[in-house]
Amino acid sequence: MAKEMLTGNAAAAWGVRLAEVDYIPAYPITPQTEIIETIAKWISDGEMDAGFVTMDSEHSMVTAAGAASATGARTFTTTSSQGLMYGFEMLFTVAGWRVPLVMVNVSRGLSAPITLGPDHNDILALRDTGFLQIHCETCQEVLDSVLMAYRLAEDDRVLLPLMVNMDGFFLSFTREAVEVPDVEKVRSFLPEYQPEHAFFRAGQPMAQGVAVLGGEFYSYFKYQMHLASQNALEVYREVSDDFERIFGRKYGTIDEYMMEDAEYVLVMTNSFSTLGKAAVKRARENGIKAGLLRPRFLRPFPEADIRNALKGKKAVAVIDQNISVGKGGIIYSEMASCLYNENSRPLMLSFIGGLGGKNISQEEFDLIFEKMIHAEDSGIVGLPHLLYTKKEWEGIKKLKEIAGRQ
Amino acid sequence: MLRLRFHGRGGQGAKVASRVLGSAAFLDGYNAQDFPLYGAERRGAPITAFTRISRDDILERGLVSQPDVVVVMDETLLSDPQSTPLSGLKKGGVVFVNTPLTPLETKEEYGIEDHVITLDITKISLDMIGKPVLSSLAAAVAAKVAGIGEKALRDALEKELSGIISERELLDRNTEAAIYCYNAVVPISIETTEKFREKENVISIPFETALVSSPSILSKGNTPLRRTGNWRIFRPVWDYDACTKCMTCVARCPEGCIQLNEDGYPYTDYANCKGCLICAEECPVGAISKVRESHSQTEEEDQ
Repeated sequence: MAKEMLTGNAAAAWGVRLAEVDYIPAYPITPQTEIIETIAKWISDGEMDAGFVTMDSEHSMVTAAGAASATGARTFTTTSSQGLMYGFEMLFTVAGWRVPLVMVNVSRGLSAPITLGPDHNDILALRDTGFLQIHCETCQEVLDSVLMAYRLAEDDRVLLPLMVNMDGFFLSFTREAVEVPDVEKVRSFLPEYQPEHAFFRAGQPMAQGVAVLGGEFYSYFKYQMHLASQNALEVYREVSDDFERIFGRKYGTIDEYMMEDAEYVLVMTNSFSTLGKAAVKRARENGIKAGLLRPRFLRPFPEADIRNALKGKKAVAVIDQNISVGKGGIIYSEMASCLYNENSRPLMLSFIGGLGGKNISQEEFDLIFEKMIHAEDSGIVGLPHLLYTKKEWEGIKKLKEIAGRQ
Repeated sequence: MLRLRFHGRGGQGAKVASRVLGSAAFLDGYNAQDFPLYGAERRGAPITAFTRISRDDILERGLVSQPDVVVVMDETLLSDPQSTPLSGLKKGGVVFVNTPLTPLETKEEYGIEDHVITLDITKISLDMIGKPVLSSLAAAVAAKVAGIGEKALRDALEKELSGIISERELLDRNTEAAIYCYNAVVPISIETTEKFREKENVISIPFETALVSSPSILSKGNTPLRRTGNWRIFRPVWDYDACTKCMTCVARCPEGCIQLNEDGYPYTDYANCKGCLICAEECPVGAISKVRESHSQTEEEDQ
């Protein structure tokens, strides 16, 4: 099928349509709403055959989605930011049910102060739930990842729910050329879901998601989820190989840009990685051997691939588009723990950038490379740094004046 | 890479214009990206939308801060401090303004030094489509400036508009008006050089106590300072000979802008009237007419 101009939201909706999902419980929230609007219109126009129900809240929505997934229906739902938080309790529950629900989260900063721009504290708050996580840079990647998500989540060796993430506005509302695959091809990649472990049938009674009293039982079930999540890395290799064979596009657990001979590496996720790639190109023009590593999976964390990609690098700068208040960048901590036991490991610098969709300017990227080179020369790694410019500081000063806060 | 920025008001079609242009460029064989930016969606509020067109991969995202081309779909935005449509325009860049003024008059009126093209697309839209919806017309002007072919534009209009306009005849009128605008604009070559960009200084921000750094507002009475009168495309004008002083308009105005004068006749606060024209629709005797705004009114003129 030919390419067409699609937003990240429309690309997600296409992924759901092509996966021939059976049931979609929904609740609107900016900047996600376009996904459910698009799906609702297709269903209403008879172009898609699925059950669609608007719920009273995200808490009910996640519950309905998990329950539907437990009946053996291929289920999809989507939310963003505050909505994800409102359904938060049920995310742990649904993951514990071991059902292959696929959700899309459209990242948006968390209140307070309330905002619309993207950052990743919403999706990263989920990291301990049991949901697998795929983070996307482009609209094509969103569509493709939804398809791969069902293959992976429905695999018997995994059977965990999966969240596909994209940035609000910067991807959800940005259109670029996307190839919408042919449905027959998709069927050969993603056959109809045949549930063998979780389903409800008349005449075959069972109880799912039961209570256990006793830590030894609880520990068993929780650790099984962890092992299943680890399995997903191996299973994903098969999924990714099949996807490449059928559709010609290759997606690893990590995306590597100009990494082969790179000495100084940016680590970024999601759509701002595009800005990071432009910065790498500029740095290369200035004689700096720069590269970019973009983890696509954050759960399971692709430790082996990351260690392998960073072998022999001089310095790594992690740009976290999130902040764990009281600790700092979340991905920085995860990267550091993943490299700690390596005999020879790069220096690692921490930057917080792009919170609430704040721009990362050329000079901010320049500073990052400068600090990496300085750390390599001196052996001294500076403190974690919030990327912020003087002009932005003047803006916040003015805002405070207007608000009577000085 | 060519970077275009559209400035319009919510409801005028800036987002759709950026999409039609994006599709046209894509259909003409370019890499393209389009993206709208608006806060809380609100009819009449300033919005921007962007289109990037390139032979190479586009390694950019988000808003365009240094456009080669600016398309001003609503002239009043040129004097709106919330909008500043010309900011960041590159040297040698092009400004299109939707105005009845000539390019020279526009340059003088707004002190623009860059290349200016003008066309009264609101009038063309009213004449040819019957309502002031500017998306396809603004896209057509931009497509001409960007050097996109007419066939790609026609195909893009068909693709983008057929999803939002169900009436075939209305879609055809849109296309006809767009092609009229496309042909009315003389092609020019754009050779921009990056404007001297003020280097950003990266800083470390200090701790400030929550008395300063919590997101709450202590000062009172800011809202009346924000005038919304320049959102109007049409202004309501009362004919006191026909008015029966029934006060329906006063009751129906959603903004509470309409009051009564000493003689009991209604008048509106033009500094804040958004031009929704519910008053004109609701007036039982048709005493309120719609008069096209050609430029923003100052407060003194309104009194």
